[in-house]
Amino acid sequence: MGGYGDVKLLNDDGSRLDGRAIDEMRPVEIRAGVLPVADGSAYVKHGLNEAIVAVYGPMEAHPRRIQLQDQAVLDVRYNMAPFSTSDRIRPGFNRRSREISKVTAEALSSVVLVERYPRSKIRVEIEILSAEAGTRCVGITAAAVALADAGIPMRDLLVGVAAGKVEDTVVLDLDKAEDNYGQADLPMGIMPATGEIAFMQMDGDLSMDELNTAVEYCFKGAADIYELQKAALKDRYNGGDSQ
Amino acid sequence: MSTQTVPQLLRQQLAILAESDQRIDGRGRWEMREIDLEVGCLYNAEGSAKVTWGDTVIYAGVKFEIRTPYDDRPAQGSLMCGSELRPVAHRKYDPGPPSPESIELGRVVDRGIRESGCIDMANLCIVPGEKVWMVVIDIHVLSDGGNLFDAAGLAAIAALRNATVPAARFDVGEDYQLPVSLTPIMTTFTRVGGRLVYDANEEEELGGDERVSVTLGDTGAMHSMQKGLKGTFTPPELAEILDVAAEHCKNLRELVDSKVN
Repeated sequence: MGGYGDVKLLNDDGSRLDGRAIDEMRPVEIRAGVLPVADGSAYVKHGLNEAIVAVYGPMEAHPRRIQLQDQAVLDVRYNMAPFSTSDRIRPGFNRRSREISKVTAEALSSVVLVERYPRSKIRVEIEILSAEAGTRCVGITAAAVALADAGIPMRDLLVGVAAGKVEDTVVLDLDKAEDNYGQADLPMGIMPATGEIAFMQMDGDLSMDELNTAVEYCFKGAADIYELQKAALKDRYNGGDSQ
Repeated sequence: MSTQTVPQLLRQQLAILAESDQRIDGRGRWEMREIDLEVGCLYNAEGSAKVTWGDTVIYAGVKFEIRTPYDDRPAQGSLMCGSELRPVAHRKYDPGPPSPESIELGRVVDRGIRESGCIDMANLCIVPGEKVWMVVIDIHVLSDGGNLFDAAGLAAIAALRNATVPAARFDVGEDYQLPVSLTPIMTTFTRVGGRLVYDANEEEELGGDERVSVTLGDTGAMHSMQKGLKGTFTPPELAEILDVAAEHCKNLRELVDSKVN
């Protein structure tokens, strides 16, 4: 969270700079099966963020030391394309992408029925093509659709969505300015059918009441994205009439 | 995919098909797969293109950085073109530092663009001896369905022709369209079933031999060539593919022209 208090993020009528209400999400668009050679794939556009995810597997886990005797390993890579941000990113892993990859893998492992595939590996490749605040959430939303598209059994889909705080007000789905100059950011991975949380991070400054509101907003946003995820998967098989 | 058995069986099948002038996906020897080209599709890139070429999907993004010029060329900017064959593109690609394959791809595309002279490096000077633009083209392969070279070359030149120099963001004047005077196009031929064919798909590459890539400029001049992988070819074969290349380059250049202003 950047230096707050010095940048105006809410209009006088209480709306946000881009005109959204405080509990309104940016527009979301989801498509399944976008990459020809992958076993499963998905594209998600969320505001100005764009992510493409490819899933390969289940396959034999290599190297053998990563194998688990009773379940599959999710090998998740979150990567930002060099041209995805306003300043070019040098290609390759960094500390941020490694951490996001790790917690995303753990979140997806909580949703996928990993016990069905002992000693195997499922590769999930998250590529961020355009970044404008909230890419880890967009990656999670896309990864869940790509896993389902690959026919991998799951307890539920997983939806990535964030809430935060700007000018002492809790808002749903921070945009770039709100992320840079706001007071808190709470990205979550929600299983809408079961009501469970599989992913959570937070930084900034939130009271208990604000946290409750933020979680409530995240669940509300997740319910909407969930419908789009399901529609995208159905579209794969009925020629594009669900959306 | 097993490394030995499948390619051997595939090679036999490709050889049988070649005897009766056929290809595994039903195309003619010099026929191209279906192509879709989109430009200006990436929000944070100053120039961008997405190429869908058969089962191959490639994005190219152009970014600009301000650098101090090289001592021997104080009034010239620079150009860099890199590619990443990330594991997203195929199950055969592993994570890790750039492979020789991805470095070759980036460098061959780079040479075709650089040597065509389509970008006048003098146009990239801001303050001689102090500040020049470096144009960076990043090729991002999302799906490797064969013939990455031609798809990457097409994405790169289309992204360049779509690029805006972000001078305002760097406080060095007003934004302007990057001047690109030519449209170099790459065509690649692969030996499949004993003969060279244009635009090999994934199976043909797996069961094929050497590849020959040629980049031609607007006047038909050659700007880069690269022979890769194991295998040999003869001067008459080279002459034959250059004729085919000229025709495809012309058509692909028209495609780029129709998408950029």
